[in-house]
Amino acid sequence: MEENKPQENSSCKGSVMSQIRGGEICPRSKTFFQTRECTVWFLWLATVLIGALAVAVTLFVVSHSQYALYEATHENFFTFMVEVLPFLWIVIFGLMVLVGVYEVRHTKRGYRYPLWQIVGSSLILSLAGGAALQLFGLGYTTDHVLGEHMGIYSSQEKIERRMWQNPEEGRMLGKQVRPLMPPALVVDFVDIAGKSWAVDVSELTPLELELLDSEENVRLIGVLTDKENSFFHSCGAFPWQLDKAVTRADLSAARKVFETRVHGYGEQAEHALLKVTGKEDSDDDDKSPCSRIEPVRRFEAQ
Amino acid sequence: MEALPPSDTEIVHMTLKDPNQYGLLMERYEVKLKRYIDRLGVRNPDDQLDVLQDVFIKAYRNLNSFDNNYSFSSWIYRIAHNEAISFYRRKNVRPEGHLVGDGNEVLGFLSSNQEGEEVKFDKCINVEEINRALFKIDEKYREPIILRFFEHKEYDEISDILEIPIGSVGTLLHRGKKQLANVLNKDNLRI
Repeated sequence: MEENKPQENSSCKGSVMSQIRGGEICPRSKTFFQTRECTVWFLWLATVLIGALAVAVTLFVVSHSQYALYEATHENFFTFMVEVLPFLWIVIFGLMVLVGVYEVRHTKRGYRYPLWQIVGSSLILSLAGGAALQLFGLGYTTDHVLGEHMGIYSSQEKIERRMWQNPEEGRMLGKQVRPLMPPALVVDFVDIAGKSWAVDVSELTPLELELLDSEENVRLIGVLTDKENSFFHSCGAFPWQLDKAVTRADLSAARKVFETRVHGYGEQAEHALLKVTGKEDSDDDDKSPCSRIEPVRRFEAQ
Repeated sequence: MEALPPSDTEIVHMTLKDPNQYGLLMERYEVKLKRYIDRLGVRNPDDQLDVLQDVFIKAYRNLNSFDNNYSFSSWIYRIAHNEAISFYRRKNVRPEGHLVGDGNEVLGFLSSNQEGEEVKFDKCINVEEINRALFKIDEKYREPIILRFFEHKEYDEISDILEIPIGSVGTLLHRGKKQLANVLNKDNLRI
């Protein structure tokens, strides 16, 4: 074994001490280290908060994504989820958890905690924080504000507007501009793009007519019967509730209404088909344009 | 009655008021750290001196970051560990093998298996054989073994020096000993 050489050690001490005495090196202040430690913890807190915000927006989207009416806009539930899931926020959440773990690991004693504990605590804090933020409506606010101020950001509102404002595909979003005057069955309607429409409401239920009369934004499903004259045949009206607190029960109720409506048109379609194939007396006047709308076909396909 | 020598922590406080006191700490740790740096694979005496100097300078600069609740020894060993790694990186070299110390003492530690594994070391293995075997095991196991069995550090101290959870120290030691035993067996050392 090699022995330590005293003269080397002495020269080491001598060299270091002469540098210290000569003022070439001096201890960094306590404030420097305290600031550094605080910065790391502050960054960690910031990542947890951003993570929580990501969770809040994700929760908002999941609970308000109007999956109750997904057949109205998408071929199936999978394609619907692919479009509405906030992948950006999910990725941000994942990134924040990773950055948070890195930061805790780089605090003074962060290395003492096992990885699973750090990951677990970061996840739990972000999820709990996100749920709390969403309770105060911050999920919607964040999504909405970002959507308003960042053209590139696809807020839930933008996605929903894009999905529902498509008259060619039988969906329209807007509001009735004048009260219905019976016995007329056509109302003046302005969509969110500002275009005026004549909407046939003959097949709407009294509740749906009441909803239209509220002069708030509503979603319509139906058929574009005359594009040139902007004539739309409405087969159902549903409230626009993106900015409202919607419970699971509300969504279930909305789904039930939607199913009943579409199922009713499906039965009409079946009835009409029987007439066409000669198995029943044909009467074309009975055929409603609503029996041909896409959601009916999708329901039938299921 | 003779007064007890000041503790490391006390000397740190004294140094912050009077820099000349730093010499006391250097005297306490020069030999230990030089041996540790040596064991980490910095074999050239000039390089050892450079690394040792860097360790003491860095420790002095960062004296205010030393936390009284923890051991000064672990703190300065941590700096030595970092400086040795920086040295390898700077020089773009790998550790040059390990000088472990007294063979019988080392074997005694290795055969006292805390994790319950039945590994019996032959007392006739000499230091050179252990040096060679230690060089053959994975790098991640080498340093915990050096700190535990050659520097006689406790688990929490190793955790502080290597900045890994205490649980991981146990795991690394357990696996490292197993690997070391395998290497020694392969070399027909009758274990």
